[in-house]
Amino acid sequence: MINKALFKQSCKANWIKWLTVTIATCTMLAIVIIVLGNLAINDIRDSLKEVFAQADQEATLKEDIIDSYDLYLSAVDGSNQIVIGVDEMFDEYDKAKEDYQSATGAPPTGEALSGIQSQVAAGVIEQFGDLLSSSGMTQEELQASIIALLGIYDFSPDMAKNGAISTITAMLPTQIEQLAQQQKLDEGATQEEAELAGQQAKEIAETAIADYLAQSKTENFVYSQNLFTANAATYVNDMMYDQVYEMQIEQGVSEKDANINAVAVKVISNTAISTYQIWQQTYSEDGVLTDEEKTAAKNEATKSISDQIPDKVAVALEELGNMDVYGLIIGSIFYRIAGLLLPMVFVIMTANGLLAGQVDSGSMAYVLSTPTKRRTVSVTQMTYLLFSLFAMFALLTAVSVISVWIVGGNNFAINFSEILLFNLGAFLTMFAIAGFCFMCSAIFNRAKYSLSIGGGLTIFSLVCTILGLFGSSVVPSAMRITQMNFFNYLSIITFFDTTDILSGSLAWLWKFGILLVIGIVTIIIGIFRFDKKDLPL
Amino acid sequence: MKNEIAIKVEHLTKDYGKGRGIFDLTFDVHKGEVFGFVGTNGSGKTTTIRHIMGFLKPDSGDVQVQGFDAWKDAPHIKSFVGYVPGEIAFPDLSTGTIFLKNQAELLGIKNMDYANSLIDKLQLDTSANLKRMSKGMKQKTAIVAGFMADKDILILDEPTTGLDPLMRETFLDIILQEKSKGKTIFMSSQMFDELEITCDRVALILDGKIIDIADVASLQDPTHRIYKIEFTNQNDYEKFKKLKFKIVRDQQKYFQVTIKIANSSINHLFNVLKNYQLKFISEVKQNLEKHFKDILTSQRHVKIVTSEELDKTRKQRKIERKTLKKQQKLQKEDKNDK
Repeated sequence: MINKALFKQSCKANWIKWLTVTIATCTMLAIVIIVLGNLAINDIRDSLKEVFAQADQEATLKEDIIDSYDLYLSAVDGSNQIVIGVDEMFDEYDKAKEDYQSATGAPPTGEALSGIQSQVAAGVIEQFGDLLSSSGMTQEELQASIIALLGIYDFSPDMAKNGAISTITAMLPTQIEQLAQQQKLDEGATQEEAELAGQQAKEIAETAIADYLAQSKTENFVYSQNLFTANAATYVNDMMYDQVYEMQIEQGVSEKDANINAVAVKVISNTAISTYQIWQQTYSEDGVLTDEEKTAAKNEATKSISDQIPDKVAVALEELGNMDVYGLIIGSIFYRIAGLLLPMVFVIMTANGLLAGQVDSGSMAYVLSTPTKRRTVSVTQMTYLLFSLFAMFALLTAVSVISVWIVGGNNFAINFSEILLFNLGAFLTMFAIAGFCFMCSAIFNRAKYSLSIGGGLTIFSLVCTILGLFGSSVVPSAMRITQMNFFNYLSIITFFDTTDILSGSLAWLWKFGILLVIGIVTIIIGIFRFDKKDLPL
Repeated sequence: MKNEIAIKVEHLTKDYGKGRGIFDLTFDVHKGEVFGFVGTNGSGKTTTIRHIMGFLKPDSGDVQVQGFDAWKDAPHIKSFVGYVPGEIAFPDLSTGTIFLKNQAELLGIKNMDYANSLIDKLQLDTSANLKRMSKGMKQKTAIVAGFMADKDILILDEPTTGLDPLMRETFLDIILQEKSKGKTIFMSSQMFDELEITCDRVALILDGKIIDIADVASLQDPTHRIYKIEFTNQNDYEKFKKLKFKIVRDQQKYFQVTIKIANSSINHLFNVLKNYQLKFISEVKQNLEKHFKDILTSQRHVKIVTSEELDKTRKQRKIERKTLKKQQKLQKEDKNDK
């Protein structure tokens, strides 16, 4: 099927072209990989990424800060409600006793008193049931202790009041801890994280309650949340400072640096809380916000950079940060465009010269005036074309693998298996193009038709890929014109998708299959057509 | 042996449209025969040869070479056919030597003695760069490539174009030598004289049709001579015409006759002419060119238009058109004036 003499003749006629193209392409590839491997082109990208990561971190931090601040105020509020509740309880008790006295003319004693006491106790349990149950006492025990408290109230009202308040408020932190822990768990945090958050909440609550109790003992005390906002802010700011400082020291950072970092966090904390406070002052006189207002205030206070710039710009910047520069330059630009150009020129010229050129000039007559079958001629020429292409890409593969090895092997942005797949894809693309050019060369008797159809469509494909690049996902949206993606549908190179390979999807498998089929079918058509057509020799 | 048919062309037709192509060609080339093929440019010589070589598929009719179908068995036929193409273009190789070596490999020749003897005869420098060769050198290289396998049948498409007169002689010697070896040669040419020297038979093709196949040997009848005689006056002319010589052509205007006469009667003729006043007498050589010209002129339906004539008629037509337009213009102006 293959004629040795003809094969040699084709080698002699085309080796200079082959050598030039191979050397040029290999050199380009080596330079691209080695230069990229040694330049820190990802620096800008990394810093952009860092900015966004920091902004997100800061936003989360601010959220935690606002939560803590809010928790402080809630705890104060909770304490105040307990005090009011306790007052109400004793007021009710007094009133019940007075009612009894005015009805019977004598203060209640014995069974009557204990009846009133158990009635009041039931009301209290109903009001503070949730909170009281966190103490771990049963219903009966609770009832008994309240009744005992009321008994104490009969001869020492202040002592009973103080006792009740300190007992119940002491239960509040535990409840808050449990709530915070549960919430964290619901958010999907680990047990350890939840416990830590619960503990922190408990500490905040304890401080807030202590603060409340201390202030409530001052003269002319009238409860308002506003009284506690300053203390809450100070407490949370200091807490953030302490946390960061301790963590940094633990991590082995010097005291000075730890201080600087902790202060920075404290500033962030202060900023967030100040923003939140402005909302509080603006929206309500007593500093209490509705849930809706709280969310709005929180959003405002926790805004990060990405929230402050317009959405489109934010997306563009974020994409720029996420852009894979190596994948773009080596995959989409070199293997799909720049690296294909010279092999394409080689294939267009060689495929044309192997059949159509020789038929057009008439030199094919010398081969066909010997007992050589047309089939042998076409198969030999096709074999030469594929062989030369294969040899070219074998060298290119070797150069690419060596270059990647030089710049760090698998530590390089593009690893060995990816670079091997790039080479395979580029070869299969060239295989399909070679098949098409060979078919044109076999069909047409005039070199100009073979060149303009085979070469024209090939270059058209390449140009479409260049234009399509500006519409494809590898280009950041700031530079992307989605409509340009249309050009990708006009190019055979679209079946060689480097983003598939980089993203680890297996879609390249069927696309490579299509390229292989295109190459084989066009070659078969070419061989059969060459057998049957008229040759003007 | 002589009657065995080497190439058989039957009702071969290939229509390229617009009257171009070849139409219903039928002829045989016998084994050991040198067959000439003559015709103007574009008359279909090369198309016929391409069919014999199996490069073109006939629209209808068929070509057989030693009993094998030229299209279907093309590769097999090439094992006993050598070919010199009309259009000389070589493969993309550097020198003539490399080309001939490559060609020898394709032909499966190991012994280059015969090829070298051809090279010597043609005084060819094969080491020259193929691309820079002169037309004549290219032609010689092509001839060596076609002849070197020493095949039984040689198909030559205008093999002498580009050769200088001396080389042409050498080439014709080679043809005659091959002929003496018993080879069948089919060659096309535009030169009547070289066909006359080498060919047994010559076919004339015009507009894709064979007009005539002439037997060269019988054209040159050795038993008869032809003389053209012009008389100084009408009297002698009239008197001579009354004698019983065979007059082939009579031109009254010039008092001129052309007669065909047997060799044995030549003395008689000159004895007769002693008594006449002659302006001149010359022997007319009967050759191929004349033969075909005679045929073409006698067949009135066939009109030979040379390119010069074609140009002339085109020019004439242009002038006619211009004058017509001028006339029309004048007429219009006249009308306008009225």
